[in-house]
Amino acid sequence: MISLFRLTMATMFARKMWVVVILASILTPIIFPLFTPYETNTALLEPARAQTAWSCTWIVAILWTLSQAARFGESNSNSGMGSYFRSQGVGSLRQIFALWSAVMLSLLPVVLISTGVCLIFAMPADPKEASMWVWTNLQFATLLLLAIGPLALLGVGVSSRCGALIGYVVPTGLCLYGLYGVTYLGMTIRLRDDNKILEWLYALSPQYHLADLTPRLIFKMGHLPWSEFSGFLLYFFAITIVASSLATLLFRTDPLGN
Amino acid sequence: MTPSPTEPCRASVQLSRGMAIGYHSVLATVTEDISLENGTHYLLARNGRGKTTLLKTLAGLLRQKSGHYSTHGHCQFIGDEFYFDRELKSKAIFKALIPGPHREGALQLANQLELDTNKEFGKLSFGNRKKVGLVVAEFRILKGSPNLLFYDEPFTGLDTPARQAISDHWLSTSERTLRIVSCHPDFDTMAMPSALLISDNEISQEGDGSLTWADFKQRLS
Repeated sequence: MISLFRLTMATMFARKMWVVVILASILTPIIFPLFTPYETNTALLEPARAQTAWSCTWIVAILWTLSQAARFGESNSNSGMGSYFRSQGVGSLRQIFALWSAVMLSLLPVVLISTGVCLIFAMPADPKEASMWVWTNLQFATLLLLAIGPLALLGVGVSSRCGALIGYVVPTGLCLYGLYGVTYLGMTIRLRDDNKILEWLYALSPQYHLADLTPRLIFKMGHLPWSEFSGFLLYFFAITIVASSLATLLFRTDPLGN
Repeated sequence: MTPSPTEPCRASVQLSRGMAIGYHSVLATVTEDISLENGTHYLLARNGRGKTTLLKTLAGLLRQKSGHYSTHGHCQFIGDEFYFDRELKSKAIFKALIPGPHREGALQLANQLELDTNKEFGKLSFGNRKKVGLVVAEFRILKGSPNLLFYDEPFTGLDTPARQAISDHWLSTSERTLRIVSCHPDFDTMAMPSALLISDNEISQEGDGSLTWADFKQRLS
């Protein structure tokens, strides 16, 4: 399993896209807010940095992490690598975990950079606000990783069976739907009373918008109450169980369906 | 698949009479008990007769249709399509997959095979790509343990000097490794001391140590 993990990491390094990703994660939250008319109200600069940092992390996670997951899932199955490792006793579960951990490990620095940028370049001066700021960022980092992790696993699983395109579109679609679509669905339900189908659909939909704490940072609403945060954690753990079960069921080590 | 009680460094493959291989239907059946030990055994058959299926079955990637077989040793199946990422250099592949103490030997064999380890995998010729997989498999064998290497057409695209270098390497490591190598030889004088033949839906072992490809060619249907 270590060999497959090392090979996946080596591949990601060789592709060099990580350089662009790391640079974008560092530079966009520092540079982009400067394009706003911050001179009129300098207090807006810090929340703008936080917003840019975390928006950049979401974009990286959706565009890069999920696409890498899909690419590795497909190539492991098609390149003969999956069969090779399986012949050595590395089963499907260990292979998917090796691919997934390499992909997720590459997202970790981006999350750390965003947290770092928020803590270094956007930290509120007030000590009470600062403490809340730290906790909000840590909660955000945890929830984002918990939202993207199972989607990346699903990407690896789906792409090993159906190819990289479907393996990317499915988790990305789910993520975007959970981030934005579900909110619109909720609004529709409120406008149209007594539509049981839509209510069921809403209840079954992944509520990824819960993992997006950007408004809390922009409006300095403080961190999530711990009881609420625990509820969110449980919710995302439940999604993790469903998504990982599905991903491991779908995962194939060779294109002939073994 | 059950490991058999053999000496620690003796790899072995045993196919029992009646063992059948295939996907949906039976492709070929073993006609008499076959016992293979350390060394190189060629697997010969015409296209679509079950060479890959047999190798995959022995590697535990496919279930046999009926009968029994047993293997003893650390297994590696190197398929005919065994590719790495286009942007990875062979050196990086070796670093990721080959344990540190064996890496120098891998680079030496690569050098002997005239493989440019600083070139991206995607820029290598077909034959040179094959060499990368071969070197990886050869230097991932476990020292002090029996090893089984199942190669599916490793010589495709390789020139004669490269093939010779690999054969020499196999000979020097045959005391701890059993190799089954499927191939379509293209010159009659190629020595085949031991061979598994798949012909007329039957799997049999042939060879008395002195035969060449020319001797087997006529027996394949």
